[in-house]
Amino acid sequence: MSYLRMESITKIYEKKGLLALDDVSLEVKENEFHAIIGENAAGKSTLMKILYGLEKPQAGRIFFKNREIKNYTPMDASRLGIGMVHQHFKLVPDFSIAENVVLGAEPVKGGIFFDKKKAIEEVQQCIDHYGFHLHAGDKVKHLTVGQMQQVEILKILYRKVDLLILDEPAVLLPEQEVHTFFSRLKELQEKEGKTLIFITHKLREIMQIASRITVMRKGKAIAVLDAKTTNEEELTKLMVGTPFLFYLKKEKIDPANVILELKDICLYDRTRKYCLLDNVSIKVHEGEIAGVTGLSGNGLAELEDVVAGIRPPTSGQILYNNTLLKKFDIAELRQGRLAYVPADRIKRGSSTRSSIHSNLIISRRHTFSSFGVFNMEHIDRFVTSLIKEYSITGHKNSPVATLSGGNIQKVILARELSVNPNFIIFCEPTWGLDVASSRFIYEEILKLRKKMVAILLISSDMDEIMNLCDSIVVLYRGKKVFAQKNSREITKTMIGEYMLGLKDDFNSENNQETKDSLP
Amino acid sequence: MNYSEFSLPLLHNAVDIMTPVLLAATGGLFTELTGVLNIALEGLMLIGAFFCIVFAIATGNLFLGILLGVTVSILVASLMGVITFKLKANIFITGLATNLFASGFTVFFSSQVFGTKGVLRFAGQPLLPRLDHGFLGSIPVFGEVFTGHNFFVYLSWILIFLAVFLIYRTPFGLRLRATGKNPEVICALGLKPMHYRFYGILISGFTCGLGGGFLSLRLNAFVPEITAGRGWIALVAIYLGNKTPVGILGAAFILGIAESISIYIQGIINIPADFVLAFPYIMTVIALIVYSIFKYYHSPENNKGEG
Amino acid sequence: MNKDLSVKTWPHLFNLFITLFLASGFVIALIFFFSRTPGKSIYYFFIGPFINKYYLGNMLNSGMTLMIVGLGISFAFKSAVFNLGGEGQVYNGALVATVICLAFPGQSGFFIIPFALVTAIIASGLLAFISGILKMKWNVDELISSFLISGAVIQIINYLITGPLDDPANNLLATRTIAGQFFFPRILIPSALNTSILYALLLPVLAFMFFSFTHWGYEMIMCGQNRQFSHYGGIKVDRYLVLPMMVSGGLHGLAGGTAVLGTYHICYKGVTAGIGWNGIAVALIARNHPLGVIPAALFFAYLEAGAKAVMLHSDVTMEIAALAHSIIFYFITAQFLYQFIKQRRRKHW
Repeated sequence: MSYLRMESITKIYEKKGLLALDDVSLEVKENEFHAIIGENAAGKSTLMKILYGLEKPQAGRIFFKNREIKNYTPMDASRLGIGMVHQHFKLVPDFSIAENVVLGAEPVKGGIFFDKKKAIEEVQQCIDHYGFHLHAGDKVKHLTVGQMQQVEILKILYRKVDLLILDEPAVLLPEQEVHTFFSRLKELQEKEGKTLIFITHKLREIMQIASRITVMRKGKAIAVLDAKTTNEEELTKLMVGTPFLFYLKKEKIDPANVILELKDICLYDRTRKYCLLDNVSIKVHEGEIAGVTGLSGNGLAELEDVVAGIRPPTSGQILYNNTLLKKFDIAELRQGRLAYVPADRIKRGSSTRSSIHSNLIISRRHTFSSFGVFNMEHIDRFVTSLIKEYSITGHKNSPVATLSGGNIQKVILARELSVNPNFIIFCEPTWGLDVASSRFIYEEILKLRKKMVAILLISSDMDEIMNLCDSIVVLYRGKKVFAQKNSREITKTMIGEYMLGLKDDFNSENNQETKDSLP
Repeated sequence: MNYSEFSLPLLHNAVDIMTPVLLAATGGLFTELTGVLNIALEGLMLIGAFFCIVFAIATGNLFLGILLGVTVSILVASLMGVITFKLKANIFITGLATNLFASGFTVFFSSQVFGTKGVLRFAGQPLLPRLDHGFLGSIPVFGEVFTGHNFFVYLSWILIFLAVFLIYRTPFGLRLRATGKNPEVICALGLKPMHYRFYGILISGFTCGLGGGFLSLRLNAFVPEITAGRGWIALVAIYLGNKTPVGILGAAFILGIAESISIYIQGIINIPADFVLAFPYIMTVIALIVYSIFKYYHSPENNKGEG
Repeated sequence: MNKDLSVKTWPHLFNLFITLFLASGFVIALIFFFSRTPGKSIYYFFIGPFINKYYLGNMLNSGMTLMIVGLGISFAFKSAVFNLGGEGQVYNGALVATVICLAFPGQSGFFIIPFALVTAIIASGLLAFISGILKMKWNVDELISSFLISGAVIQIINYLITGPLDDPANNLLATRTIAGQFFFPRILIPSALNTSILYALLLPVLAFMFFSFTHWGYEMIMCGQNRQFSHYGGIKVDRYLVLPMMVSGGLHGLAGGTAVLGTYHICYKGVTAGIGWNGIAVALIARNHPLGVIPAALFFAYLEAGAKAVMLHSDVTMEIAALAHSIIFYFITAQFLYQFIKQRRRKHW
């Protein structure tokens, strides 16, 4: 008998008409490090949510420790010894670590009262036992991303579970911390005797520590492999279906005129008394892809807001087409043909309640009206042609909420490119998209480059930055710590060191003089 | 001593006046903490006001009347909760509906049963006793301000005290606050944010019922729209009190003093009664504006358009 | 045409049908419970509004006023701005129009009628403007501020009507009657239906064209559907916090002025009688669709007329309409399954 066996699990999301899991079986041995890999929407998360009791399958049985379990809630799952770390943090920033950890399983005194002291004691014990460096009384909002990740894991360790489910927990972690994180998990398996199920995209790392790997594709478990005998290529092949080769053809273009120049941009947070952006200067030439990268929380989002005119900087200048911007207002910038693909596609980049039609025309609405009255035929032709050109699958009157992620991004792209920009901002353009959609986006970006458009690419995806960009800037705590032209000498490890603040090219005064002028 | 001759009764009055607002705000705080703006406080108070006195008369027993009246108010709150959460209606609209229902229902019921759409006056019926505190009342200043009120006043203080415990010192409170701050956390635990929101509405029903009962029983009559916007003022008090029980106590007290002063001034200068009725609204809206301005300049992102 | 104006109609109609069914059932149950002659009461409630010209005309007339109020609310709601000050704004419009008419008793109606109505629109528009500008400047919750300001205004107007402006000659708490040349001509005598029907019906159509075919209408709708996206798209979103509020307040003022010039000819204490709240219900039934406001307002007027008829001919009071309204209110946004699907966050994408 195996430790955990999920038999013929089928899950249909009736309302969406989606077959999420199609007769999937999974077997996990005791004290095993079991990895599950697959593309987006392959059904990995759904399978784990079913195991954790968050979702109910239409068919199938689950056996855990030689006993069939059914109709249980996540609370029951914790008691049975199953815990789950979700893809996104499920934390209350205003609560302390201890409060976050015990939430749902609070220590109680006198029958009704929440025993805060005991909670802190117990959680601190748990922290010390597993060798984390945290103080149980600290507020979660003051922690780094890596530490928040630790709190998430503490949440399930506190409940003394034996089976840990981890749903892409490393996705937000900096490259350097990923390694320590994995070795910590390995320790849990080897020293504490826990069983781990791990969903991930990071093939290289997982192959080093996992015992077995289940590959899922389109709602089916298609293979179970031994980590020692397989290789990256085989896994990729299984995941994607056909071997996927990704070549980006980049033509050589000599950057000419400067289109956008940021001069000493500062953004100061008065309440936290903290510089979100600290003297950042960046130049973007026409026909150039200028990349800005960094870990989340280090100024990427703020830079996006400043460049797009959504948040005025505290100090500094922005020169756009060699003219100094007097007002930092997106409405003014939009009239100067700004194109901007935001990181937040759902709230900022699109209005999901509105139709594709309404979403497509917003950037060019001025060109469709005379004396405020719309030319409906003109609009209709415009919308129909964009839907066709970008092969957006959806009727023009259906709300954007009904589209898939890739299609939403296509709507945004279609709209932004329809203004014939000479400057465009891309922020996390492929975040959460599948390979085919990402590829489409990359090709569009390269097409723009060929048309001599100046492109600012703000992304935390290192591969994206290194493959696409002509120049790379790294931000750490709002400061520019690295700025160079892209070349073969620049490696991921090297960028990673800058992202983590281990290195800083602009620290000493003399250094700054020489390097600042580069990008 | 001359000074205290009018200032102490003024404060004594303020303590009296603040009570219904404080009660409503205490319950409203529970919904607010779960991330729900409960605009039905007004209607729930009105229901409480009507049924507390009707049941007190019908049973001839003050406490039984309050008990039954508050039960009705809780029932109406739960009706609103069921429609909102089970049928997925918009809480803002069900809140409006509750207010509309309350004002329509109280008048309809009183005209069908008692034959009047106006003031329901009850002569010689159970009155709210003022509580004497023996030696406590003889303490200068304190005794003159804080003693000699009816039991609702003290109950409201006890409830605020209980609210502090419930919110900050119980697992329930912890989960309640987590619901408002990040409902996904609660979902991930397999709990339902909806449950905590529902409890919040029920607690609102309870305290609003009491607040309404205070209004009608003190007057020994039910007047249509007796609540006169106090449910809305309570909402503002929740904001002014920064969503903490103690803050609400302070906010309600300040609003109480302001109204008490306006009533006092009305006594000296001859201001028409209707005009005086406008004062609580004006003062509350000014308090709300001042609070919002303060909040605006102290918020990390006073970034317009991104709200 | 801007298709975002319309909504998916069938689930909405389905919900609407259930709601109306429940409301009718509730009314019948109440009548059975409270009336000694339930059969007669039910007859007058449902058929009463159509039995003579007087009832029919009055029903249509109150429908016209509700239409303007409902349109005002839908302007605000469509832009996701919440105006809860309708009651005070209508009252304010009624008073201002009355005062203007009383101030020029000898003048020709040709100048004074438009002047009175425009002043009423501006006055109430400004009242709503306060809440809008407070929201824009300091993020003061417009929902609460508009209600509180309206609450204060109602009391102040009550004071004015019962105090300085009171006409001692009549027994009512009311102003003097305005001069006859300012009356809107009646259409269906003896009822109060009057020529204001012309613009009451025209306004929803104009609003519909505004939202469907104009640049500003588009911007307003987009601000209502996603303000952050609109800002990103280069729309000056601040304007659309204040503008819809002002239009909303202005239409409320117009409704108040219309009620005085067309129906009452005086301004008495409590002339609004909850029309501000009913306007919200009308806008909600209509899903904020400008044309939907027309049937929704007529339906509400029908309920009220039924209640009036049953009160006159039977032993049930008028508040039964308020109860039916609240039931409709309760269920009007209950989406059952349909919204449940829509509201589910898209997790896998």
